[in-house]
Amino acid sequence: MDGLNAAEQRELANRMERKQMKEFMTMYSKLVQRCFDDCVNDFTTKSLISREEGCVMRCVDKFMKGSQRLNERFQEQNAAMMQSGQLPGR
Amino acid sequence: MSFLFGGAPKMSSEQKIAAAETEVEMITDMFNRLSESCSKKCIPNDYREGDLNKGESVCLDRCVGKFFEVNIKVSEKMQGVAGQQQGGAGLSL
Repeated sequence: MDGLNAAEQRELANRMERKQMKEFMTMYSKLVQRCFDDCVNDFTTKSLISREEGCVMRCVDKFMKGSQRLNERFQEQNAAMMQSGQLPGR
Repeated sequence: MSFLFGGAPKMSSEQKIAAAETEVEMITDMFNRLSESCSKKCIPNDYREGDLNKGESVCLDRCVGKFFEVNIKVSEKMQGVAGQQQGGAGLSL
């Protein structure tokens, strides 16, 4: 991100904001799909039974925590990689 | 990548923003792929509790480390292959 002036940084921030919204929607739909696939397998009832609902709640909970943890480790590794001049990052 | 050429050459504003954007995109994409693989490998699909247990947490941590390692290995290997093909011309990423 070096060498961008203020106006350029604003433009970049704008684009990133739009991208983040899209990223969030993708993440959300993937989560719905995974929790649905793993928790809901019984179609003898029309709405979620309590076991399924509990499973979905724990599934979401677990993934949010997992995602946060992955993100922390990712940042650390990425920073280390950039310092040693390896592939991604600048 | 600008660092290869000793500071940014004359790039237009749009080019500079686009380059920064591509960089962020690459990193985001990598994170998404890592996140998908590691949660598939580390989080079993019976959700007995909402918290990550010890084993899952450790698995996720190690998974990230290994994902990066594989990244580096593959990149080194491919640079080697490209180098041979071009008679040692190397590959500029």
